[in-house]
Amino acid sequence: MSANLPLAGVRICDFTAVWAGQSATMYLADMGAECIKVENPFIWNPMTRAASPRINSAMSAMLPPWIAGHPNSDPGPRPWNNSPAFIQVLRNKKSFTVDSRRAEGLAIVKALIRISDVVAENLAYGTLDKLGLNDEEILRERPDAIILHMPAFGRSGAYVEGRGYGAHIDSVSGSTLLRGYVDTAPADNVQIFAGDFWGGAHGAFAVMAALRHRRRTGQGQVIELAQVESTAQMFPQATLDAAWNGRDAVSVGNRSIEGFVPNGVFRCKGEDRWIAISCRDDGEWAALVEAMSQPAWAGRANLGSANGRAEAEGEIEERLAEWAAEHESYDLFHRLQAAGVTAGPVMTAQDAAEDPHLRQGDAWARLPATEDYPETDFGAPPYKFESSDVRIRTTPALFGEHNDYVYRELLGVSDEEFERLRAAGHIATTFDADLVARA
Amino acid sequence: MALDALEGLTVLDLTSHIAGPYSTKLLADLGARVIKVEKPGGDSARALSPFLGDEAGIERSGGYQFLNTNKESIVLDLAQDSGREAAYRLAGRCQLVVVGLSPRQSERLGVSYRQLKEHTSASVVEISNFGSGGPYRDYQLSDTVLFAMGGEMYSHGTLDRAPLKLGGTAALLQCGAMGAVAAMGAVHAQEVHGVSQRVELSLFDAQINSIDRRSAAILAFRFSGRVQQRPAGGSAGVAGGIYPTADGYVEVTASTGNYWARFVEMIDDDGLRDPKWLQPAMALNPAAKEEADGIIYPWMLSRTKHEVWTEARRAHAMVAPLFTGSEVFRDAVFRERGLWIEVEHELLGRFPMLGRPYVLEKTPWRLRRPAPMLGQHTDSVLAEAGYSTAEIAQLRNDGVAA
Repeated sequence: MSANLPLAGVRICDFTAVWAGQSATMYLADMGAECIKVENPFIWNPMTRAASPRINSAMSAMLPPWIAGHPNSDPGPRPWNNSPAFIQVLRNKKSFTVDSRRAEGLAIVKALIRISDVVAENLAYGTLDKLGLNDEEILRERPDAIILHMPAFGRSGAYVEGRGYGAHIDSVSGSTLLRGYVDTAPADNVQIFAGDFWGGAHGAFAVMAALRHRRRTGQGQVIELAQVESTAQMFPQATLDAAWNGRDAVSVGNRSIEGFVPNGVFRCKGEDRWIAISCRDDGEWAALVEAMSQPAWAGRANLGSANGRAEAEGEIEERLAEWAAEHESYDLFHRLQAAGVTAGPVMTAQDAAEDPHLRQGDAWARLPATEDYPETDFGAPPYKFESSDVRIRTTPALFGEHNDYVYRELLGVSDEEFERLRAAGHIATTFDADLVARA
Repeated sequence: MALDALEGLTVLDLTSHIAGPYSTKLLADLGARVIKVEKPGGDSARALSPFLGDEAGIERSGGYQFLNTNKESIVLDLAQDSGREAAYRLAGRCQLVVVGLSPRQSERLGVSYRQLKEHTSASVVEISNFGSGGPYRDYQLSDTVLFAMGGEMYSHGTLDRAPLKLGGTAALLQCGAMGAVAAMGAVHAQEVHGVSQRVELSLFDAQINSIDRRSAAILAFRFSGRVQQRPAGGSAGVAGGIYPTADGYVEVTASTGNYWARFVEMIDDDGLRDPKWLQPAMALNPAAKEEADGIIYPWMLSRTKHEVWTEARRAHAMVAPLFTGSEVFRDAVFRERGLWIEVEHELLGRFPMLGRPYVLEKTPWRLRRPAPMLGQHTDSVLAEAGYSTAEIAQLRNDGVAA
């Protein structure tokens, strides 16, 4: 079933790695593009299919769950097929393997590019050029291709040789200095990857815009999405305050930059349970005071306005913390929301997995077991289309799962040639044993 | 002449504040005609600081100016029948309607999908807090509550302290970007298949799907039963995390293999070349970390963050500086590449603005007009939709249009 898929008939030759690139092509695959991931059994792309090709139970226990929480904490013989960080960005995609550094491998890749509409990559600057796949060479194979480059710091200027993941993009874009505690140095900030989420969405959007232009004019084009420049737009208030008023915003902890007072995260009863509360206007504050049974301290007249509350913000936060500590986070959540106060629990991954609202909707899709993971609920695409079949249509692409399809059906490789390429190591469903041993 | 990628696409924008307007900004900035309907008094984002020259005013908000580039503004009171009727007429002339209201509000104002589809064949993207059903349907969200519930706030921060939000209003803007992806899907389905449809995106769902560790953390829990905790501190292994320099900070990833090798090449100190550092157990040894710090800290502190970054780029080390807002603004490389533009505003004069988030070779991002003044296009948009001068005057008189 492929009814009314927005990108029906669009094929992507996908060289993306890590999260920003792989999520960009995932959103396009959700929309119906046939996304073919080009993988190489002789190259281990860091942070693309697992923390390590030979991660074992002991190693996985030492690493954060999001990357190393493999099924039953046992990565098994093919960890590249069951790292939670990476199979989740492989839904609706296909995977085929080829050693594109060898001439016959490059010829295969070029044959795929000839029948692709989009070529996407976010590899270290210059990687594709070294393979013999610079823009000119891609366009020679496919003159109307849309080429999406997602370099960390751009393809021109002094920063081209800069290397980084999401955490470094966060840093240069201004994000990291804005998200710490007010009373600790930035050196205590932990690494996050907000720029990956941002870059992925913008990459997919830009490609879809370019596809529309191509449909109307027949013209492809090159897109350069420098992740750091894109991510800088996630903090317009801070950068414009600097540009307009010469002021450098600093971290406000959990306070609001929208003028909401109070706005914070408060500890509740139980082990490491928390509730976030925002009073977005005076009415919400009055409702909060009512919900707290009108304590004397909250009745002071000057607290009725946001300006008055801002002057007493520290004190309000202390009192709220004392009050919240006496309650369960979910009780407060429902009570406060019912009273008209914007509030919600800080949800752990378990809370989210078991959340009744998400369960009742179509947030999850149960996927059948494979050799590498058991039957599991995966996250479904967040955009719900009434008519187009935008959902998880095919399970996350296992390494080399679609070799037969790509070589034989798409590229028309003969049985004889297929066997020759397999014997030469191009066609595989595991990484090269020497590579795994060295990794 | 360069064309705009989204030229010929007309969008009726019934969103306000931050998330929805960012969705429609992305459309407008690539050439869609976006008609923004503001309630009387204007979009709440007009009250968001910072303000140009620190002077508050409905045309002076940085947030509003950024979020509404290239749009037109019409003020309509949808709570009145004639205002709603005008919105229906406009919707009938658009290919896409983006609605950013709660299910209850959109029903009350007559712009739910069910009500709109009687007046337009446009696709309708509905961006709401929690979707159109389920137990949280009528609950409210702020940027902080959204990230607390939907995003990976729980593991952001340090173990003994409260979980932390992101900077600014990042969680809302991220959802706005996802809204734009959904909207482009709707546009393609309509143009390719002739299908107009309802597309729903809840902010909660968008964050639950956040690629910034959230969707992975949930899948990891299902696989392994493990829940991501907040770490005890920012550093990881022998080297890694944020280090102070002579004038600021840099972020370092140097944990394994190549990254460690390039980091060592950057620091260029024999003390770090010892093969002992490659033993995995070193990562767990506090004394080893202290010894490495004894080499790394002096190296960092004797250089500016830009000097460190220059060395890092030479060695291809995964190291980059933490920029402030003014460093993002003043950075010579960003400027040379064109991240910033100058806006010429009828009322405010010239001011700098963030420009393109991407470079499209044939259909470049461009500023056709600054964010609209409140109701700047009320007359022209209504006239185009067939309202006579007298009818428009009547609507203004009745407080329906402004």
